[in-house]
Amino acid sequence: MKSAFRLGAYAIVYLSILALAPHGKSQSYQGKELVKAELLADTDAVVLGKPFTIGLLLRMAPGWHTYWKFSGDAGLPTEIHWTLPAGWKAGEIQWPIPLKTNDPGDIQTYGYQDEVLLMQQITPSAKIDNSSVKLSADASWLVCERICIPGSAKLDLDLPIASASSRANQGLFARWRRLLPQNLPETANANWSRAGSDLRLSLTTTALANYPTVGFFPLPPNNTAVGHPTIESRSGNEITFHIPIQSANKSLLSMEGLLVFGQQANGEDRAAWQITNAAIASSTRSAPARGIFTFLFFGFLGGVILNLMPCVLPVISLKIFGFVQHAGQSRQKILRSGIAFAGGIFTWFIALAALLIALKAAGREITWGGLQFTNAYFVLFLSVIVLVFALNLFGVFEISLPQSATRGLLGWTGAQGEAGSFFQGVFATVLATPCTAPFLGTALGFAFTQSPAIILSMFVAIAAGMSAPYLLLCAQPAWLRFLPKPGPWMLHVKQFMGFLLLATLLFLLYVLGAQRGLDGAIWASCFLLFVSIACWMKGAFVVPSASVATRQISVLLLLLLIIGSGIYFIGGKFRSTKISTGSTQLAGDWQAFTPERLQAELEQGHSVFVDFTAAWCLTCKFNEANVLESASVREAFQRHAVVKLKADWTTGDPIITKLLQQFGRPGVPLYVLYRGKSEEPIVFPELLTRSIILDKLETISHTVASQ
Amino acid sequence: MIASLITTALYAFDPPPVGTAAPDFSLTDAKGETHSPSQYKGKYVVLEWFNPECPFVKKHYGTGNMQKLQEEYTSKGVVWLTIDSNAPGSEGNLSADAAGKVMTGWKTRQTALLLDPEGKAGRAYGAKNTPNMVVINPEGKIVYEGAIDSKATPNPADIPNSTNYVKVALDESLAGKPVTTSTTKPYGCSVKYK
Repeated sequence: MKSAFRLGAYAIVYLSILALAPHGKSQSYQGKELVKAELLADTDAVVLGKPFTIGLLLRMAPGWHTYWKFSGDAGLPTEIHWTLPAGWKAGEIQWPIPLKTNDPGDIQTYGYQDEVLLMQQITPSAKIDNSSVKLSADASWLVCERICIPGSAKLDLDLPIASASSRANQGLFARWRRLLPQNLPETANANWSRAGSDLRLSLTTTALANYPTVGFFPLPPNNTAVGHPTIESRSGNEITFHIPIQSANKSLLSMEGLLVFGQQANGEDRAAWQITNAAIASSTRSAPARGIFTFLFFGFLGGVILNLMPCVLPVISLKIFGFVQHAGQSRQKILRSGIAFAGGIFTWFIALAALLIALKAAGREITWGGLQFTNAYFVLFLSVIVLVFALNLFGVFEISLPQSATRGLLGWTGAQGEAGSFFQGVFATVLATPCTAPFLGTALGFAFTQSPAIILSMFVAIAAGMSAPYLLLCAQPAWLRFLPKPGPWMLHVKQFMGFLLLATLLFLLYVLGAQRGLDGAIWASCFLLFVSIACWMKGAFVVPSASVATRQISVLLLLLLIIGSGIYFIGGKFRSTKISTGSTQLAGDWQAFTPERLQAELEQGHSVFVDFTAAWCLTCKFNEANVLESASVREAFQRHAVVKLKADWTTGDPIITKLLQQFGRPGVPLYVLYRGKSEEPIVFPELLTRSIILDKLETISHTVASQ
Repeated sequence: MIASLITTALYAFDPPPVGTAAPDFSLTDAKGETHSPSQYKGKYVVLEWFNPECPFVKKHYGTGNMQKLQEEYTSKGVVWLTIDSNAPGSEGNLSADAAGKVMTGWKTRQTALLLDPEGKAGRAYGAKNTPNMVVINPEGKIVYEGAIDSKATPNPADIPNSTNYVKVALDESLAGKPVTTSTTKPYGCSVKYK
């Protein structure tokens, strides 16, 4: 008992000596101490599985300096090699913003005077048997004044292993973290271009006004000899740097580096934005390796699959209904209908492509679904069409004569013969576009970065895919024979189809509600009510049996009804409803996505899963309900301590639009797993399965353990 | 302290690009003889910037790597000019006397060790490092400029595992082939200009 107590006391004394023991080593030259090196942690103990930060603190004698990741015209960057227990990981060195020094002979170097803390994240394994751990690093550096002396040190840091920890060396870490570069904010725009064999970087940001001094510190790729960046022009919110490239590197289109701001050069208040490879990738994304034909094939396949997507289903049943009708007619007629139907599909896609090319030329940032479902007025327009169509199926009104002059909105899909088939084709495609089917995402993502000709051929490929099954059925009418014979039952089928359309309408109203709130959905519904009344009037009074006067007055009244209620409800009430942000309810452990949030979580060493979704995206809803919210997947997310962020694109948030484009996607869904700051994010397919998610989550299990 | 870092570049000299005419200069060597690249037209000329105190220079002389290169190529008729562009009073600046001692002490094999205390030749070539290497062809055009080799460290142990760009450039040139790697980022100490 007594001896156990004594042992404990020794242990405490020993541990406190350990804690107090100086870990530093110094480099001397001709009796003078040039550099003192020391390892420090931002925590007083290691909690297994919980990442923390270790810094190599270099204190230089006055006048001496060590170097940045890119040392400039002379010098060498400091290197740190770790010896860590098995399963532990050290992140990349977080280099603070360096100072720029100019020496005679136009020698420009980047480094640190007096002191620098080079931080690295250490991720401990989940299990270790010891009660303390020794972390060892071999550090080597070049320290220069007028002369340069290489230095190195083997450094150790002993840390106890505990179940809880508190922060240590707070002041020092805080001071150096303030000097770490930030990500380029969304509000700033950096553009690269070639200037002969050199590079030109243009930065547009309102922040420029606050900083008299702005510089570009390059981080050139290995063995690229780069000259000194100069400021070519600066006015207002725009600054342009010229970066001479001395080695013949023809493929170099951009370069990593820091944009450093300050009240004066090398000021203590200096701040920086980093231009990273990821940011570069988004601005200079070139065609993926896969060939154009592969993508056209994907476009075609995507088009075929579009027929099976949930938002097209009601229309599909209508088309089947159409075929049943046609089955009783002549072969020629069936073929003509099929071709007309395909024509409608092609027309819509080509129109869409033309619009896209025109808008792209106008320099506007647009994406596929963004053109449509992120726009509340487009959703409203579609709601009207769906409702009118449903009422037509219910028999509220009939399109009395195919050759009737009223072949406007109402006549479109109800029209007989080829014209009807044509508009059905158009209509089916309008409904299909927001569902980015598998493959189609890749295909379109590719198309958007391409020339107008390729965009057009891509859309034609999709149209071909979507119309292929119908053309096949019409060319092989024998297959139509398997369809049931027309009869009175058709009326019931027709009416039942009306309910499917009403279900589609409910979905559209749900989208409107997500975009414009409950008020928005209600005002839209009010307008829809008046549209219904107008349709009823058409059915009741604008019929051949009614007198000319009745018909004329009725048409006038129903037009007044539509225009009046449109002005009042849509132009007034609906328009004044606010565009809601964060419209998707964040259920359970999901948190709202912001780029800053993602960055912060990654900085802290967490893995992050981002769900890019929208209220109107049925594929997203399907994935969420069946995969992401399933018990096994939820449990796996929890076990691997993955932070779940939801990026809501319902109203076409431009920040999210930009991110989608970075991943080469024209729309949602998009699922991305970030396993850590330095690892490549994993992009999942658009149709998720539980096993895909679970498999990929397992790949992080060894690096980030549950707490 | 911070303010002392803020110095303005008085000169902005970038290296003349590969393929252009090599700038001419005239410097005296340790024995008092004058040398200039133009007098060696018709031969390959190597320029090597030098500082006997610099750890990166010591890396290549301490191991005999530089002497071996000098011996191999001067025996093939290549002119090898080592240049000290460090200003008087700063590290590495050599008097004619001291230069002679370094040459015998280190058993160097260059054609001549030239003294450039004013930094004229160094600035003309935009030489910023020791070592910094330039290869000039018999027509007086620059065919290579940059680092001595591919491992930018002061560690002699790295020499066997690195690609010596000067050797490659000279071998290719002497075989009548174009130089594949003609510009690299030089590494080393900064030249201590006046």
